[in-house]
Amino acid sequence: MNKQDSRLKQMIWVFRSKLHHTGVVIDNFLSKLGLQFIVRWPAWLKAIFYLIPALSLLMIFTFYPIFNSFLISFYTGYNIQRGDFDGYTLFGNYQTVLSHANFGRAIFNTSMIVLISVPVTIFVGLMIAVALNAIKPLRGFYQSIFFLPYVTNSIAIGLVFAFMFKGNVNDLTNLGLANQLLTWIGLKPIVWIGVGATYWSAMSVILIYSVWNGLAFKIIVFLAGIQGIDKQYYQAAQIDGASRSKSFYRITVPMISPMIFYILITSVIGAFKTYSSVVAIINREGLITTGANGTINLKTIVFYIYDYIGLASQDGLMSYASAAAIILFGIILVFTVLQLQVGKRRVHY
Amino acid sequence: MEIRLEGLTKVFTDKTGKETRAVDELTITIPSGKLVGLLGPSGCGKSTTLFMIAGLHKPSGGKIFFGDDDVTRLAPEKRGIGLVFQNYALYPHMTVRQNIMFPLENLNVSFKQAQVLVEEMADLVGIKDQLDKKPSQLSGGQQQRVAIARALVKKPRVLLLDEPLSNLDARLRLQTREEIKRIQRETGITTVFVTHDQEEAMSISDQMVVLNYGVMQQMDAPQDMYNHPDNLFVAKFLGNPPINTFEGRVESGHIIVGEDIVVGKTKAKDGIYAIGIRPEDFKVDPSGFVVSTDHIERIGRDTMIKFNLGGVAMRALLESDTVTTSETINLMVKPGKVHLFDLESGSVVL
Repeated sequence: MNKQDSRLKQMIWVFRSKLHHTGVVIDNFLSKLGLQFIVRWPAWLKAIFYLIPALSLLMIFTFYPIFNSFLISFYTGYNIQRGDFDGYTLFGNYQTVLSHANFGRAIFNTSMIVLISVPVTIFVGLMIAVALNAIKPLRGFYQSIFFLPYVTNSIAIGLVFAFMFKGNVNDLTNLGLANQLLTWIGLKPIVWIGVGATYWSAMSVILIYSVWNGLAFKIIVFLAGIQGIDKQYYQAAQIDGASRSKSFYRITVPMISPMIFYILITSVIGAFKTYSSVVAIINREGLITTGANGTINLKTIVFYIYDYIGLASQDGLMSYASAAAIILFGIILVFTVLQLQVGKRRVHY
Repeated sequence: MEIRLEGLTKVFTDKTGKETRAVDELTITIPSGKLVGLLGPSGCGKSTTLFMIAGLHKPSGGKIFFGDDDVTRLAPEKRGIGLVFQNYALYPHMTVRQNIMFPLENLNVSFKQAQVLVEEMADLVGIKDQLDKKPSQLSGGQQQRVAIARALVKKPRVLLLDEPLSNLDARLRLQTREEIKRIQRETGITTVFVTHDQEEAMSISDQMVVLNYGVMQQMDAPQDMYNHPDNLFVAKFLGNPPINTFEGRVESGHIIVGEDIVVGKTKAKDGIYAIGIRPEDFKVDPSGFVVSTDHIERIGRDTMIKFNLGGVAMRALLESDTVTTSETINLMVKPGKVHLFDLESGSVVL
C-alpha cells in the first residue's frame, strides 16, 4: 500500500468515526430535549420527518403552483395584480386557447421539434456512443468534447448558432459560418433566420440546435450503457456468425433499451418544453418579419404560455396561460403514458 | 475433427510494455471425437488456449489445425466451433428458443428447419419444456444446458467449454458433468474444456492436459497421469488430499526418509531426490515404520492420519477397518508407489 492510499484510508476511518460520533451527539441532543422517542419511531415516520424540509419547499414551489394553475384555468376575468376574478367557467378558457390560431401554430411548431429532433438525436447519439466505444486512443478527449454542450449555457449556444446562421437577403456579403460552408462547396447561400427566411429554413436551424444540444447527455448515458454490456455477448455472437450490424440491433440495442427508453421519455418531455432555444436563435418574439411575406411564427407552446403570462395584468389572460399550461401537461402525460405502455413490452430490464 | 496445436504461443503486453507469456510453445494433438480437459491453476493459460482455438484471441505464434485445415488466421465464425462461456453469455432479452435459434439466423436455414433443429437440441440437453422462458427464469444448471444447446445447434466441428461447471453448486456440478459426458458421447463431437478443478477434469475427460505458466506439463489419460506424473508439479496438482512431498535420499536401491526410515525400493542412482507419496498409498503393515496416531480423522470409509516421518509432516489415507485405536501404528508404502523426482528440474526419475 502506498502512502497516499493509507492516508486516504485513514481519512475515511476518521470520517466514519466522526459520523458515528455525530449520531451519538444527535441522540444525546434529542434526549435532552425530551425527543428521544424520535429515535424509536418506525422507519417510515422517520423518513417523513427527515423529508420535511424538502417536502415543504416542494409544497410551496411545485405542488401549490400546479394546483393553483389548475384553479386559475377555470376562472374568468382573473387579474393577477388585484387577485380578483368574475367567476368560473368549466372549459371556457380551454376553448378559447384551443381556438386561437397562434396556439395551433404553437402546437404544430412544438410537435415538429418533438417528432424530428427526438428520434434524430437518439439515433445520432447512439451512433456516436457506439463509435466512441469502439475507439481506444483519445477516448476521454472525445467524450469531453461531446459532453461540452451539456455544461454550456444553452442561451449562449443558441446565440452562437444564431451567429453561425446569420445573413439575410439584403446583406449577402455578411454571411455566417453555415453559409460560408455552403458557398465553399459551391452552393448558394440560404437565408436561414434573417429577413427573407422561410418557415422550414428557420425551423431547421432550431432542429439542428436541438439535436446538437441534446446529444451530449444522451451520448454519455448510451456510452455508459454500452460499456456495461458484457463483451462475451459479442464474442458469442461473433462465433455464431452474427455480423457487426446484427450484433448492434440484436444485442446492443435491446441490452441498453432501458437507457434508450429513459432518454426517450425525458427528451420527449424536454422537447415539448422547448423555449430558450427559440429565443436565443430567433428572437424574443419568436417571430421573423419578412416584409411582404408577412411573419413566420416559431413560437412553441411554452412560448405561447409565457406570452400570456407577460400580459397577465389584463383581465383573464393569466387564465389562458394556465389553460395552455394544463393542455401541455395533458399532452405530455398522454405521451408519457403511451410510451410507458409500449415500454412494458419493448424494454428488457 | 482432430485439433492440432503447433508451437502455439500467446504473449500479452501490458501498458508498461511488460510481456507475459500466457501460453508458451504449446504443441498438442487433440484426437477426434474425444473429450479433452485443459487443466491448470488460475492464470496458467488454459482459457487463453481455448480462446485461441475459438479464434477470439489471436496467437502470437504457432499454428492451429482443425484436421488438415490451418485455421490460425481464420475468423471465429468461419471455424465451425461452438463455444460455451464460463458465465454462459445467454442473451438475457431473448427466450431460450430465440437464444438457441440465434446461431441459425446467420446460416442458410429455413425457419421451419431451424425450429426443428432447436427442438432437437432442446431434447438432447433436456430443456424441452423451458423453451419459452427467459434465461433469468432458469436455474444455473438449465442455463448451462441452454448454452450447450446454443453451441451445438449449428453442428460445429468442435465444442469448446470454458470452465463449464464453475458456476454450479456441488450437486448440480456432479449431475452436469455426467450430462456433458453424455452429450459428448451422443454427438461424438471433439470437445475441449477448461477447468481448474482436477476432480472435474479427471472424472469426465478422455485425455487431460495439465498446464502451468503457459507450458504443457503432461498430456495423458486421467488415471495414467495420476499414477505416473511426469513431474513434481503434476504430482502436486492432482490428488486430494494432496501428495506428500519431501526431500529424501536413495542409498543402494533404498529410498530413505529422515535418518534411516526406508519407504521403498528403486533402481535410481544414489543421491538426493524430491519424493512424493500419495496419502492413499500408505497401508497398515506390522513390518512397517512406527508412527504416532495423535491426529486422526475418521471420515466414514477412510481414515486420515497426520503424522511425522523423519521430521516431515505427512498425511495418510487408510481404510478405516485397518486402523486400530492404539497410540502408534505401523505403516508401509504400497510397493512401487513412491515417486522420485529430480530436485532441480522436478521431472520424474525412472
